[in-house]
Amino acid sequence: MSESQDTQREYRDDQQRKTMSHAFSVLCLVISSTAVVVVTTLLISIFMTGGNWIDLEFLTANHRENNPEESGIGQAIIGSIVICAICGIFALPIGVGTAIFLEEFQPRNRYLRLFHGLVQLNINNLAGVPSIVYGILGLTAFVYMFGFFSSIRVNDQPEYEIGARYYYQTKTLGGSYVKFPAKKDYQPTLAVTGSKWVTDDQGNSFRLVIVPNENALSAYQSRLDRAIVVCSIAELVEQEGEKLYKIETIGGREVTFPAERSYGQFSKILEPIDVIGSDGETFQLNVISKRDPLPTDPEIKNRTVVADSPDPKRRSSASIFRETNWFHFHLPFSKSVLSAGLTLALVILPIIIIASQEAIRGVPQTLREAAYGMGATRWQVVRSTVLPSATPGIMTGAILAMSRAIGEAAPLLAVMGGVLGTTLQLSSLMDKTPVLPVTIFKWAGDVNDGYENLSAAAIIILLVILLLMNSVAIWIRYRYEKKLAK
Amino acid sequence: MSNDSAATADNAAAKQFVRPDFPVRSSAGSKRWQAVVVVGLIACSMISLLTTVGIILMLVFESSGFFADDQIDIWEFLTGTRWTIGQSQGQMYYGIWPLLSGTLRITGIAMLIALPMGLITAIYLSEYATKRVRSILKPVLEILAGIPTVVLGFFAVKFITPYLLQPFADFKTFNATSAGIAVGILCLPLVTSLAEDALQAVPRKLREGAYGLGSTRLEVTLKVVLPAALSGIISAFLLALARAIGETMVVALAAGSTPTYTLDPRVPSQTMTGFIVETFKSESVVPGTLSYYSIYAVAAVLFILTFLITLIGQIIRMRYREVYD
Amino acid sequence: MSKTKTKKEKVASTSDVTAADPPQSFVQADADMPAEPAVTAIEIKDFNAYYGDFQAIHNISLTIPEKQVTAFIGPSGCGKSTLLKWCNRMNDIVPIAHSTGSIQIDNRNILDRSTDVVDLRRKVGMVFQKANPFPKSIFDNIAYGPRLHYKISRDDLHGLVEWSLKKAALWDEVKDRLKSSALGLSGGQQQRLCIARAIATGPQILLMDEPCSALDPASTSRIEDLIFELREQFTIVIVTHNMQQASRCSDRTAFFYEGRIVEDGLTEQVFTNPSEKQTEDYVTGKFG
Repeated sequence: MSESQDTQREYRDDQQRKTMSHAFSVLCLVISSTAVVVVTTLLISIFMTGGNWIDLEFLTANHRENNPEESGIGQAIIGSIVICAICGIFALPIGVGTAIFLEEFQPRNRYLRLFHGLVQLNINNLAGVPSIVYGILGLTAFVYMFGFFSSIRVNDQPEYEIGARYYYQTKTLGGSYVKFPAKKDYQPTLAVTGSKWVTDDQGNSFRLVIVPNENALSAYQSRLDRAIVVCSIAELVEQEGEKLYKIETIGGREVTFPAERSYGQFSKILEPIDVIGSDGETFQLNVISKRDPLPTDPEIKNRTVVADSPDPKRRSSASIFRETNWFHFHLPFSKSVLSAGLTLALVILPIIIIASQEAIRGVPQTLREAAYGMGATRWQVVRSTVLPSATPGIMTGAILAMSRAIGEAAPLLAVMGGVLGTTLQLSSLMDKTPVLPVTIFKWAGDVNDGYENLSAAAIIILLVILLLMNSVAIWIRYRYEKKLAK
Repeated sequence: MSNDSAATADNAAAKQFVRPDFPVRSSAGSKRWQAVVVVGLIACSMISLLTTVGIILMLVFESSGFFADDQIDIWEFLTGTRWTIGQSQGQMYYGIWPLLSGTLRITGIAMLIALPMGLITAIYLSEYATKRVRSILKPVLEILAGIPTVVLGFFAVKFITPYLLQPFADFKTFNATSAGIAVGILCLPLVTSLAEDALQAVPRKLREGAYGLGSTRLEVTLKVVLPAALSGIISAFLLALARAIGETMVVALAAGSTPTYTLDPRVPSQTMTGFIVETFKSESVVPGTLSYYSIYAVAAVLFILTFLITLIGQIIRMRYREVYD
Repeated sequence: MSKTKTKKEKVASTSDVTAADPPQSFVQADADMPAEPAVTAIEIKDFNAYYGDFQAIHNISLTIPEKQVTAFIGPSGCGKSTLLKWCNRMNDIVPIAHSTGSIQIDNRNILDRSTDVVDLRRKVGMVFQKANPFPKSIFDNIAYGPRLHYKISRDDLHGLVEWSLKKAALWDEVKDRLKSSALGLSGGQQQRLCIARAIATGPQILLMDEPCSALDPASTSRIEDLIFELREQFTIVIVTHNMQQASRCSDRTAFFYEGRIVEDGLTEQVFTNPSEKQTEDYVTGKFG
């Protein structure tokens, strides 16, 4: 093979190779720009769907069933912000603390170094755990607390509670409401509404049949000794030190069931008791019998109840309600914003740790040496030198982590359930609240017309919030860098 | 002596120091304080360890509540192909495969999109892109990475299904394909940034050497940079895979709530995460019931899968970092 | 002070060096005739240092006299910086570093586990290769050490900062902008700031790890002047690559090679009449 041939062949190849390379770069550009296309399409389609549903009412109103025009995300915005704040308050110090420990307190001891490595590996792995698993952890660890405080039951009063007072509320003849405090160990008569397992005096165990009303009795003829009419009154009795509710079935059989350690429904007011009126005034409630003449004076009517009205609806039954202070707190946390915030804190903890570690690693070693060289302890070095220099990086990472938290729906669904709207304002850490991502999820899945648009509108608001948070991150960075350069 | 002179706090004072001779603060205080701080920091670090331990213990104990039930056989759980928990009454089936296959189908579609696109985008960013293109592409990818997953789920069910899929074939309202595409979009930035890291970690001198021999850009990329970054790219793929398997909100919205054991990408296919969310959404989770425990059993499978994949990905990642550091 | 003066002249006229000079009773070493034997500041015996399995220093013994400038010279990787860093236990922050033997300061082996490192570093200050001011104000940089170690009033602190800056010949340049960031200073000023910061802590011994290697010749010469003046009050150990620098500003020189001390003695002797062949090859530039 002559030399000239050789070069000629190489030249041809060269052309081809160059064309290939060029073609590949064009292909790359086309494929890469799909990301731009996707983001643009996504934003446009969402704005088209939800853009003109945003108005002041949407931002302030709450969710309504079957009424998309008047529904809004007022509670959801507040809920999201509160939960995000709780999450930050816990995740930020713990995350930064872990990062400092991993980066600045590298031990000489072999076993401690093993511990170090384990923590590091574990954090990288936690970052890959699906957020729904954190949600389940939150449900188990915060909502039910592993069933440690009481056996897991639904709608049960928590055992350890502060900042809450329980009242019974009843309606007087005059139509006004009066209330009186409920005591925990005070278990009054109970209006039985749900089917229960009961025991008769022979020790037979069976399920009570609940008859909707007296008119329907005929349908239950064959089971009358096992049936009661709904809202029949059970009396509290004590047998061999055990508290039981006793009730007589229609067929005249006496059955009992155990009294749970919680507030029962107070169903019959038989004697005068001290109550608090709606204006806060304390007075004694008059109790009259159905045979007594009804009072006519509205003032007296407002202070009177009928003890034994034959109509269950007009009976002087009192319903339980709870008044809570802002510091209302109980164990376990149950489905509350505190549980939700803590769960999200676990979700973003690895993100904050990794970001803080990177920020801390970015602090020049020479600065540490300078401080050590003057006799600062490790912690003094960290506090006076490392942390100030790493702060912008840590803050940026923290805000990015928080924006991940504010968009998370899955763990919140697990921890708080799909709350869309509550009648109560968010007043303490133990309350439930709707949040933006869950609202978006529920609305997106709502088959009624209009909610789809609402969902898109809520997405726009969520994206705006995210944009604001990221702007803050950039601003912090910029300001800090300017301050350092001065 | 300098104490006395320093007390006269004027400029003259400065001239009379020999060396600073003020009462020395004992270092005992700051050391004691440091010990307190260290204990605090260790406690902080313990929380992340406790999280893992908590997850594992919780899954073990609560799913044992599932398997302890007389009706449940663990072998049937792992091999069965019908799943009816959380659905209408009748004979109860609890084979995980419909859910698992749903997850795998959607993950497969997602990976078909995210891996090649992510890798090519990473190659483009790392080897080809000019500063200007970079300054557009990078922020766009960051925006994409920051979009909450529930938003992508909404996009999938309200846009991808009706406008991209249904005009072309008989897709159901909820189907595996649109969920898979959305999950793929979601994994794209992750693959891109991790793969780009891996490509950037390849030392300059390797590239320079290849260019010096007259290679074209394509040849340098394919024959030098990619092989050198291979382990990093594999780890990026694995991490994206784990992410896709664990993705919840997109599939909860777009993939429907019917567990199916099929290869048809047009029909609804509930995933493991989808089942968990569906159960929570309906608020029928009564502690102590079988459907409550089934959440934990499914979550255990989900956790084991993602944890193993992430772990392998991390180990590979650490390895390649060591090579060039 | 005028730059045209030669070093020897300057040292001879002690009184005009700086206004901050100590009372006569504190001036011990006569610059022209380093007292031999002088009081020992650092006594190194049978010292070995390791990074993991790698032994960086092999069985070194060396005596460093008080209030003189001792220079460590030698090619890169010969262990001179390592030894310097062990003198105030800076290697503690390197998890894999460990050592055997003893380094005596104030009649105590500072390598003992019981050594109070904080106290040690107060007495043994350090200046690093690269100027490393904190991203804080000039004042806060100088005040960092004193705030750590002393119960000191505000006024005293101001006096001390001024004294340190004057000692480091930086006062006139920065006295109007003590509150501005130290990062705004030039490279040479930053390094003098670091020296001022080190002496504000009140050390007896000042370790300098190639303090001029990152500086231009003019700044280098200023810092060399400074070192020569500071030896009135401080024992100075300086690591340098630059043999001229060692010969210009040190009283004694130790030549390191591959983790061992080949030769040490009066600077003049090491440079003009070395007893070892290797030393001669190095100082005449045959290798290194």
